[in-house]
Amino acid sequence: MKIAPDDGGLKAARILAVDDEAANLSLVERAFRREGFQQIATFLDARDALSDFAARPPDLVLLDLMMPGVDGYELLESFRRLTSEADYLPILVLTADSTMNARLRALSLGANDVLLKPYDLAELLMRSWVLLDTRRRFRAVTFL
Amino acid sequence: MMSADPWSRMTRAWADLGLGPKGLIVVALPLAILLSGIGALHLSGRAEAEAEARVRLTFAIQRDIHEVHALLAEAASGVRGYRLTGRRAFLEPYIKAEALLPTTLDRLRRAARDPEIRRRLARVDGLVVQKRDGLAQLAAMPGAGTATGVEAPAVTRALIANKTVLDALRAEIEAMQRREVQLLAERQARADAERRRTWTLTAVMAGVGLLGGLAAAQLLFTGIVRRVRSLEQDAERLEQGEPLSLADEAQDEIGRLARRLVQASDLLRSREAALREGEERYRRVIEGVRDYGIFALDLDGRVVTWNTGAERIKGWTADEILGKHFSTFYPAEARDETPARLLEAARRDGRVEDEGLRVRRDGGRFWANVVITALRDEDDTLTGFSKVTRDVTERRRAEEALGHARAEAERASRAKSDFLSRMSHELRTPLTAILGFNQLLGMDGETLTDDHRHAVDQIAKAGGHLLTMIDEVLDIARIEAGGHALALEALDPTPLLADVRNLIAPQAHAAGVEVRIENDTKVDVMGDRRAMVQILLNLLSNAIKYGPDGGTVTVSLVETSDRVRIEVMDEGPGVPAELVERLFVPFDRLDAERWSGTPGSGLGLALSRGLAQAQGGDVAYRPRDDRQGAVFALELPPSPTGKGNT
Repeated sequence: MKIAPDDGGLKAARILAVDDEAANLSLVERAFRREGFQQIATFLDARDALSDFAARPPDLVLLDLMMPGVDGYELLESFRRLTSEADYLPILVLTADSTMNARLRALSLGANDVLLKPYDLAELLMRSWVLLDTRRRFRAVTFL
Repeated sequence: MMSADPWSRMTRAWADLGLGPKGLIVVALPLAILLSGIGALHLSGRAEAEAEARVRLTFAIQRDIHEVHALLAEAASGVRGYRLTGRRAFLEPYIKAEALLPTTLDRLRRAARDPEIRRRLARVDGLVVQKRDGLAQLAAMPGAGTATGVEAPAVTRALIANKTVLDALRAEIEAMQRREVQLLAERQARADAERRRTWTLTAVMAGVGLLGGLAAAQLLFTGIVRRVRSLEQDAERLEQGEPLSLADEAQDEIGRLARRLVQASDLLRSREAALREGEERYRRVIEGVRDYGIFALDLDGRVVTWNTGAERIKGWTADEILGKHFSTFYPAEARDETPARLLEAARRDGRVEDEGLRVRRDGGRFWANVVITALRDEDDTLTGFSKVTRDVTERRRAEEALGHARAEAERASRAKSDFLSRMSHELRTPLTAILGFNQLLGMDGETLTDDHRHAVDQIAKAGGHLLTMIDEVLDIARIEAGGHALALEALDPTPLLADVRNLIAPQAHAAGVEVRIENDTKVDVMGDRRAMVQILLNLLSNAIKYGPDGGTVTVSLVETSDRVRIEVMDEGPGVPAELVERLFVPFDRLDAERWSGTPGSGLGLALSRGLAQAQGGDVAYRPRDDRQGAVFALELPPSPTGKGNT
C-alpha cells in the first residue's frame, strides 16, 4: 500500500521518533520503512533524543507526550529552543491523552500536528508526508 | 385701627407720611418760622421808621409854625418902625415875610396831617391874610415918619385891628404849638411802643424758632430716628434668631421695612424649623441604624457623634467614647499607622474604604468594612469626617469558606482531570501497538491466508469496539467530573439536523436506510452544538443499527409546553417493556446481542442522557404509537428569545 508518490527526495528524510513504549517505536519504524523511508532514529530515552536532535537535526520529529522522567512537553520545548527561527522543522505529536487540554498544550508549545493514539497508520504516514513536503517546499523557497 | 382721638390720628397721619414729605416738613418747619420772623421784624421795623418819620415831621411843622409866627412878628414890628420913623429900611422884615410866608404856609399845609392842626392852619391862613392886608394898609397909609403917622385915628384903628389879628394868630399858633407838642409826645410814645414791639417780636420769634426747631427735631426723632433704632434692634434680634413682633404699622418706608423684617423673620424661623426638623429626622434615622456604625470624627480624628449601630458593633456607649480618638478601634499593631493613613487618604481623595480587623470594647476582634468620608462646608473647608463601619465578619468567614471550597473543588477537578488524562493514556497506549501492528499485518494482505486475514479483521473490529468503549467511558467520566465545557446558545435545529444527517449518511447508506427529517416548529433550542450533534449521532446510529436494513428512520421535532423534543423513530423491534427501565444504565446492554445481534458498548445512551442533562435537557424513550419501533427523544429547553437568527 503506497500512500505517497515517490518523489525521490522525501524518502531520504531523517525521522526522529521518541516514545517510552518500545512496541510503539517499533511500529512507527516498521510503518515508515515499509513506505521506503531509510533514516529512522528511535529513542526510548528523552535525553538521548535531545542530544541526537542537537547533533543532527532531523527533518521530522514524531513525539510521544507522556513519558517517565523528562515528559514530552518539556522535550517539545527543548526541541523548539534548538530549532532555528528561519527553519521549518515539523514536530508531529502522537499522544494517547484524548483530553482537549493535552492537544491544545502541545500545539501551543510548537507542535505542528497532533495525532491521537491509537492512530490509523495510513493517517500517520499521510500527515508525516504532508509535513515533510511542506518542509521541502519551505527550504526550496528559502534556499536552505 | 382708626382712633377717634385727634392727637393719635395726627400722630398716625404723621407716621404714615412718606419719608420724603417727612424730611421736607422737618426741614421746612424751622425755616418757615425763621422766614416769618424775618418778615415780622421787617414790618415792625417799617412801622418804627414811620413813627420816627412822623416825629421828625412834627419837629419840622413846629419849626415852620414858629417861623410863620416869627416872620409875622418881625414884619409887624418893622411896619411899626416904618410908621414911627418913615424910614423904608424898617420895611425889610415885612418884605421878607411877604416873600417867605406863602412857601412856609404851603409847606405847612402839605406836611400837616393832624386834623386839628389842619383846622387851625386854615384859620391861621385866614388870619395871616388879614394880617398881611393890615400890614399892607399900615405900610401904605400916609404920614409915616410924622407924629400923625402913629397917632392918626385911622392908624390907631389899624394898629389895634392888626394887634387883634396878631393876638388871634398868636393864640392859634400857640394852640398849634401845643398841639404839636402833644402830637410829638404821642408820636414819640408810639415810636417807643413800636421799638418795644419789635424787640418783643424778635424775642418771641427767637423763642418760636427755637421751639419750631425742637418740634422738628422731635418729629424727626419720633418719626424716623426712634423707629430706625427700633429697626436696628429688630435686625439684631433677627441676627440672633429671636422672634419679632409687628410693632410698626405705619405706611411709610420705615414701616414697610419693619414689616419686611418681620416677614423675613417669620420666613427664617419657619425655614429654620423645617431645617431643624429635617436634621432631627436625619439624626434619628442615623442614630436608629443598627446594622451600620455611623459616627463623625473631628479634624483630629476624635469621635463626636455615635449611633446605635456603632454601640452595637463596637460595644462602647456614646458617653464612653465621645471625645476619644478613633484609633481606639484599631488593634494595637495597627493603631499607630492605619488610622493616620486612612484620615490622610480621606483628606486627599474625599473618601477612603478599608477592610480589616477592629477591636471591640471587650477586646474581641471583628472584621470590619469601613468607609471614611471627608466632610466639607460650603467653602470647601474640611470640618471633619464621617465614618461608616460594618461588621462583615460573617461575610468574611463565608468568603473564606467559599474560597477553601473552591480551592478544594479546583484541586479535585484537577485531580480528576489528571486521572482522565492518565486513564486515556494507559488504555490507548497498548491499543496503539495492537491496532497498529494488526494494520501492518493487514497491509501485507496478499501474503496472508484466509484464516489469518479473518483473524486480523477480528482483531481490528474488536480493537475498534474497545476504542469506542474507552472513548465513551472517558466521556462519561468527564461529564461526571464536570470537565465537559458546554457552551449553551440559541440554536436553530434545522441546519443542525442537516449536518447530522450528512455525518450519519455513510452508515445509513451502508444499511440502505433512509433518514427523513420533519420539522414544523419555529423555535430555537438552548444547547451546546457539539453535544447535540454527538447525542443525535448516537440516537441515529442506534436507530439504523436496530432498525431493518432498507428501512426508514424519521427525525421529527415536537414542541411541548416547556421543551423541544427531537424524536428519532426507527422501524426496529422496539424495546421490550421489562427492559425499558434499564435502557440508560451504563454497560447494561440488555442482552441486545441476544435479541438483536447488534454490537455495542452499552454506554451510548447513558452518555447521551448525561450530555443532554448537562444541557438542562434529557433523553427519553417511548415505544412507537402506531406500529413496532422505538422512539428516542432528545429534549432541550427552548430558547427564551424564541426564534433566533442562527
